[in-house]
Parts: sequence; structure tokens; C-alpha cells
Amino acid sequence: MSDEQDRPGVVVGPSSPEVVGSEFAEVAVSVDHEGNGPRLKLEDLRTGRVRYLDALELETVVWLPDGHLRQLLDPSAHRWREDK
Amino acid sequence: MDCVTATVPQAGTDRPDYSALIQPERVHGSLYTDPRIFAEELERIWYRTWVYVGHESEVPQPGDYVRKNIGPQDLVMTRDREGQVHLLVNRCAHRANLVCEDERGNSNSFRCPYHGWTFRNNGELLGYPYHQGYGGRGKLNLGMATVPRVESYRGFVFGSFAEDGPTLTEHLGAAAGEIDRLCRLSPEGEVELNAGWLKHRTRANWKLLAENETDGYHPQFVHGSIFSVTGSPIGALYSEKSTAVTRDLGNGHSENDLRPEFRRHGEPMRWFGTTPDRVPDYVAKMRQAYGDEAEQILVEGAPHVMIFPNLFIAEIQVFVIQPLSVDECVQHSTAVQLKGAPELNRRMISQSIGSVGPAGMLLADDTEMYERNQVGAEQLRPEWLEIRRGMHRERVDERGLRVGTATDETGMRGFWSHYKTLMEDDK
Ligand code: FES
Ligand SMILES: [Fe+2]
Repeated sequence: MSDEQDRPGVVVGPSSPEVVGSEFAEVAVSVDHEGNGPRLKLEDLRTGRVRYLDALELETVVWLPDGHLRQLLDPSAHRWREDK
Repeated sequence: MDCVTATVPQAGTDRPDYSALIQPERVHGSLYTDPRIFAEELERIWYRTWVYVGHESEVPQPGDYVRKNIGPQDLVMTRDREGQVHLLVNRCAHRANLVCEDERGNSNSFRCPYHGWTFRNNGELLGYPYHQGYGGRGKLNLGMATVPRVESYRGFVFGSFAEDGPTLTEHLGAAAGEIDRLCRLSPEGEVELNAGWLKHRTRANWKLLAENETDGYHPQFVHGSIFSVTGSPIGALYSEKSTAVTRDLGNGHSENDLRPEFRRHGEPMRWFGTTPDRVPDYVAKMRQAYGDEAEQILVEGAPHVMIFPNLFIAEIQVFVIQPLSVDECVQHSTAVQLKGAPELNRRMISQSIGSVGPAGMLLADDTEMYERNQVGAEQLRPEWLEIRRGMHRERVDERGLRVGTATDETGMRGFWSHYKTLMEDDK
């Protein structure tokens, strides 16, 4: 918790998101504290879609082999498919 | 002889007769103005030989990329997860859209904005939307094209569109030693080109720039004002009394070797227009890194070398020439940064802003000459441009390289003899 929280008259909102962006995608990143424990909040700024990732899910992403990540980057792996 | 009209003579084929256009003492004006010759240069020089593209320090982290070029070709220089540097042609393998638009960024993969195909930063196709149109996933073997040969020398990355040919080491020849000389001015022996690039669009043929870079005859005239305003001792280096020399380094490369003048004075840091007490940290680090050799390095300073066809190292700056058409090019420039020398790096950036920045005095002077020169070369008579200055007093040095005095056109003659070889090559 930050020092400001304890100071009278200072209202602190949710941590302001940082944007991880490139010419290909823009995602707002922040740590969300609404639950009983912290989780990462990711917002795709081009569509508004949000995904939360808890600590265990994040650890899984860290350990994901490059090959799996590469497969997920195939647009028709999930998002752009005829059968959806 | 003077009334011979050599405007693209036909020698049984459609090709210009380069032997008639390029003579020992003069070159024909059409070499700077004829779009057919420019088209042949693209094919025989820019899309065949080694061309400087970028520096490894511009993509320090995995996933980093920068837009670069070889002439009019739009390239993306990338660094993959394993640390390897790639040169991709910036064109989608589907329907040829431009894949990267930003000048620089970090992304391990690229997504074409037109139909959403994705590529790894080594060019490999990752996938395409709605795969049934191609009979499933992973059915196409269509990646972004890569420049066939990529090699780097001390961080300087070169590309060649030819599958084979001389190696980069063969191409650089004696010029490699000049890159070494630049690197050893860093206490860590490494140069970085990460200060950002200025671009100046110039309405002139690229060869006027390449020839001018080691023309020691013009500084006293064209740059007289900057020398007098700044009290720079540079002007004297290019006087008729100077002991500096112009050297043909072979393969079209040339240099103004200013070391004889600096050795004569024997003052460390004179090459940078300063004294050791003004840059004490740098001098101390150099002495620590190089021991007894440091004194010589600090006296002799940085190279002034034109590496064929497009890389010009001008002591504290680097210029890259990008031709766009027969009468247009872009000059890219940046300040040299020496690893481990922050004290000098700050000064090199401010000096570069003073010489090549938007209100800089050096590049503006030269560019004015290039553009006037282009207009002049488009006039019909007397057809020829002279390159004979100092021919009678040329000598061959201990390395077998041709040397002229500080104001002689020895560098130009070396440029043209290599150019002629490439343009006449029948392979
Ligand atoms: S042109 Fe790039 S995806 Fe169609
Ligand atoms: Fe449309």
C-alpha cells in the first residue's frame, strides 16, 4: 500500500494503468486489488476486452515454451476462425 | 576530344558504354542525370554489393526493430530472442502491404494490418486468419523476404541482395582498419550509433555526395564560414601546405588521412578541438585501457573515411547515403557514441547538432553545393566533370595504396575505377 493512502484528504483510485503498446497492439496493464488478492489486469485498448491473470496463471505464462506462444500468435488459432 | 558526345553511346547493346563515360581524367555528366544509368546502378551496385544498413547498437534488446533501407528498398532490422540480427524486406508475403510502419519498436512478431497475417521477427510466417481458405493451419510456406547475406563488422551491419559474391571482409579491405581506428577511441573498444538519426532529403545524385565526402579541395571554400565562426583548426588541414593525404583505399573506398598533421602537432585531443584537461575522465580511462598506446590514439584521432557506396565516417559523425532516384537521395546522420565515454559522447552530440542539425552549418553548406551541382550537371555543355586534380603527384604508399595530397582528387578516381568495374561486370 502506498504512503498516500494513509494521508488525510488523499483519495487514491485504482493504480493507473501503463500501456504496453506497439504499432501492432495496445494493451493497458495494471495490478487490480478488488479481489482478496492482487491480479494483473490486461485491457486490449483496441476492443476494450479485459483479461485478469492471477499469480499462478502468470507463472504459467513465464514458463510457456516459445513454441506454444508462437502457435498462439497464429491469428486463426483462436480469435479469427471460421468455426467461431 | 571535347566535342565527343558520349551521352549513353550504344555499343551493340542497350547498355551505356561505361568505358567511354568514365575516363581517367573526367567523367560524363549523364552519369548523374540519366535515369537508365540509375536503374543499372540499383541492379549492379545497390542490389548486389555490400551496402551498409545499420548498427547492432540500434537493436540492443531481443524483439527490438528499426526501419532501415538499401536505396529505395524498405527494410526492417530486427534482433530475435537468440540475439541474432536479421534484415527483412518490409513487405507482406500475402499481398505486399508494408508490415512495419514505425521507425522503431519492440515486438517479437509483426502483424500485417491488411488481412492480419503474422510473422516472427526473423520473417517466418506464424499464421493467417480464417485458415479454411487455405485448407487449414500451417499450410503456407510464405515468409517475409530476408536480405540474402547479412554480415557485421564491429557492430556495423551490412547487407547484400546477392546470394554470393565477395565476403564483407573482402569488400571492406583496407577500409576495415579505419573502422578499427574509430572503435579504439572507445575505452571499451566499441562504437554505438544510438543517438538517433537526422534525415535530410537532398535533390542530387548520390554520387555527388560520395565523391564529396573525401574531397579535400572544397572545405576552405564551402566551409570557410563555419571555420571562421568557430575558430576551427580544421580548415588548415585541407590547405595546400597540409601534410594530410587523400588515400584510395581500394574497392571504391577512400579517406582523408589527417594523422600526419595531428602527429606533427603531437597534441592529444587536438583532433577533437580540445585538450586533455577538458575531458579528464575520458583521457584517464583511455590511458588505463590502452597503456602506452593511448598517447598515439589520442593524438591521431578519428578516421575520415568513405566506405563504398554509402557509409561515411566523418570523425565524430556517421552519414549514410540513401539514393531514391537519379536526382534525389536522403542523407541520414548521427553522432558517433563511444562506449564507456559519456564525457565525450555529450560533446559529440552537441557538436553534431551544430554541424548537421536543423540549423547546423556544415551539412547545409554541402547540401547547397550538391543541389547546385545537380542542376549544373543537367546543363548540356561542357558535358564532363573533372577528376584529374593531383594526378601528376600521386604516389603509392607502403601498403600499395594510391595517395595524393590533402586537396587532390585521388579519392574520386578510386571511386570511379571501382564503379566502372561493377557497372561493366558481365556476371
Ligand atoms: S497483405 Fe498482408 S495480410 Fe494481406
Ligand atoms: Fe475496404
